[in-house]
Amino acid sequence: MPGNIRSVCAVWAMLVCLVFCGKLTTVDAAPLCTNAQAGCHVLSLANLFDRVIQHSARMHGISNDLHSEFELYFLPSKNQIGRVSRNCHTSSILTPNGKENAQRMAREELTEVILKLLVAWRDPLWHFHQSMAHHHDFNNFSSNKSLEMSDMVHELRKGVQKVVEKMQMLGIISNSVSNLASPEALLASDSAEWRLMKDYDLLYCFRRDSNKVQNYLKILKCRIVPEHGC
Amino acid sequence: MLLWKTNDGVCSNTSAPLEPHFTECISREQETFRCWWSPGSYHNLSSPGALRVFYLKKDSPTSEWKECPEYIHSNRECFFDVNHTSVWIPYCMQLRGENVTYFNEDDCFTVENIVRPDPPVSLSWTLLNISPSGLSYDVMVNWEPPPSADVDAGWMRIEYEIQYRERNTTNWEALEMQPHTQQTIYGLHIGKDYEVHIRCRMVAFTKFGEFSDSIFIEVTEIPTKESTIPFTLVLVLGIVGILILIMLIVITQQHRLMMVLLPPVPAPKIKGIDSELLKKGKLDELNFILTGGGMGGLPTYAPDFYQDEPWVEFIEVDGEDGDSGEREDNRASDTQRLLGLPHPVSHHMNMGCSNAISFPDDDSGRASCYNPDLPEQDTLMLMATLLPGQPEEEEASFDVEERAPASSERSLVQAQTGGPQTWVNTDFYAQVSNVMPSGGVVLSPGQQLRIQESTSATEEETQKGKEDEDSKETEEQKQKELQFQLLVVDPEGSGYTTESNVRQISTPPSSGEGYQTIHPQPVETKPAATMEDNQSPYILPDSPQSQFFSPVADYTVVQELDSHHSLLLNPPPNQSPPPCLPQHPLKAPMPVGYITPDLLGNLSP
Repeated sequence: MPGNIRSVCAVWAMLVCLVFCGKLTTVDAAPLCTNAQAGCHVLSLANLFDRVIQHSARMHGISNDLHSEFELYFLPSKNQIGRVSRNCHTSSILTPNGKENAQRMAREELTEVILKLLVAWRDPLWHFHQSMAHHHDFNNFSSNKSLEMSDMVHELRKGVQKVVEKMQMLGIISNSVSNLASPEALLASDSAEWRLMKDYDLLYCFRRDSNKVQNYLKILKCRIVPEHGC
Repeated sequence: MLLWKTNDGVCSNTSAPLEPHFTECISREQETFRCWWSPGSYHNLSSPGALRVFYLKKDSPTSEWKECPEYIHSNRECFFDVNHTSVWIPYCMQLRGENVTYFNEDDCFTVENIVRPDPPVSLSWTLLNISPSGLSYDVMVNWEPPPSADVDAGWMRIEYEIQYRERNTTNWEALEMQPHTQQTIYGLHIGKDYEVHIRCRMVAFTKFGEFSDSIFIEVTEIPTKESTIPFTLVLVLGIVGILILIMLIVITQQHRLMMVLLPPVPAPKIKGIDSELLKKGKLDELNFILTGGGMGGLPTYAPDFYQDEPWVEFIEVDGEDGDSGEREDNRASDTQRLLGLPHPVSHHMNMGCSNAISFPDDDSGRASCYNPDLPEQDTLMLMATLLPGQPEEEEASFDVEERAPASSERSLVQAQTGGPQTWVNTDFYAQVSNVMPSGGVVLSPGQQLRIQESTSATEEETQKGKEDEDSKETEEQKQKELQFQLLVVDPEGSGYTTESNVRQISTPPSSGEGYQTIHPQPVETKPAATMEDNQSPYILPDSPQSQFFSPVADYTVVQELDSHHSLLLNPPPNQSPPPCLPQHPLKAPMPVGYITPDLLGNLSP
């Protein structure tokens, strides 16, 4: 029965195709290959940068939302900038304050700055989320956002580290970038400062710092791999 | 101080002067920024230099107030250039008079929060499509980002908002913000004039820049009537052209094209048979094919179709033992039948030419009595043996069979051990097995009047039992068979009959049926059936009954062919005429297993 055989063959071919297509697509989603193993689908540096920049943009957006919400609910008066009594705990990190400064900065330095910022915000955001969760006035939506924010900082740090590794592998930057996987080195210096900050100040500072991170990443990308989207 | 209510219900203190203050501070590209101030109601301070601008940049705890780096007095503007602009660092502004400092805490800011991008430039639009109804259309608007914003370096990420309205209306329609430099506007109406402008802001920030210059979009109605006239014209011309073409093809009898345009109606077809055969006069080949004689012969025609019609007769072949064995047994049985030898067959080997076609075999169309392997010498010998030797044997069988009707219908015929096969058949014709050198034709043994000893009594008994139901039926049939036998029996006892006799005989039967099936039983019951027929189907020259017990010749010699294509047989000396006479009143030979309508007419009594 040729009809039956044909249908069986078609089904078989389809299954084979699905298996192969599945294999091909899963290759794209595979974790980053560290040593350029054979058969491993490697993401390009531009692709990595794009992902990280998107992530940082989202993080900044959430911090902006949270900050304006906080202002709306807790602080009716408009401009609180003048009332920021203390500086942010990350003020000790030297960051370029202008475009030209950022562009003039060495790549390694800029990368280090980014990583320092991200590392510095991991614990404070976690504690912020914990305090918000117990705050009855804060609605669930904001509470979820604060959790998301702390998670994103963590993820973004890991992503940036991967980018750094890739850049070091490609020889774009030297290996002088210190491995900031262990944040103890950094936190030891300013561990207590952020605990003194009020919630609003924390949000304000983080909003600012997330914008910094976003800008620095974009500048770095457009300097190193100015392919598209620059 | 006088207080009076204004229209909006706010108590305003008109006597209290408005202090000098900053109206706005704006950065266009996040690299520089400007601040504008106003003297308020202190008009004496409006002159340039009366008020001085100081700023505090909180980048270190020890920072202090500094004066504006660049004044633009005509605008009452303080401009901070790139060197004096630091992003993410709070600035505070203050105005100082002679001995007075006017400071408001609301005038502190960070640069990224005061960014209002310049409007986009180079707006343009293209028509995407028009709806099928012709009433609305879609438009794609393109533009460039503001040149001052350094989007390429990634320093600023901008999103755009398009607004449009009909000309001379007041409400703007705003589309959703998006970061790309193009956007589609759907559902604009044809014939209306639209105005479009765009503004932008930094992503995740709140302050919009100025609106761009407006562009105007208008799409007038596209005249469609012109297209309809040629369309109908083309349609009509096309149809006329096609008709003319068809007519030409039909007229010129181009068969190929006609086949395409007017395909012929398919004629009835039977698989494996050429339709030519179905035409009149070609019955022989058709029969041959239908009975499976050809290569991929048709499946045998089931005898069940004609069970009820006694005038239809089939040649039955016994297929119980397969073909290979059958052949040999045929041979053996034929010979033994002819010679009257005991046949050591223990099982049923009924090679008789019985009624029904029992199995779908290629031989089914033929009488199984047909034995092509019978050599010619044997024929002579057989002929000889058919002469005096046999009657003794058959008389013995006669006795047996005489007793049979005397007993009950269920009596068993004692078979001579190993006797030849029993036949149950009423063949009207036989197959020519060989042609003798003398010119005679050897026919395969006759069937019907041959009831020789059956092999196993038990089988017969069981089959007898089956036949009980049909006993009545067979009784009736016996009557018919009697009549039937008359056809082939020469009443004068010569043992054969000529065709003329046959014709005479054929008329008396009032049954009106020239032919009957002896019995409709299946193949397996053949022996038993023959048992039942013992009483009847013998043809004896003297009396109908006695005639039935006379042995039947296995073959006979064809005398001549008459004008009707019937075979006139030589009579064996004391033999009843062979039952396998191929003659019948019909002109054409009876087709086995198939009757055409024209033959049907000939089957009338």
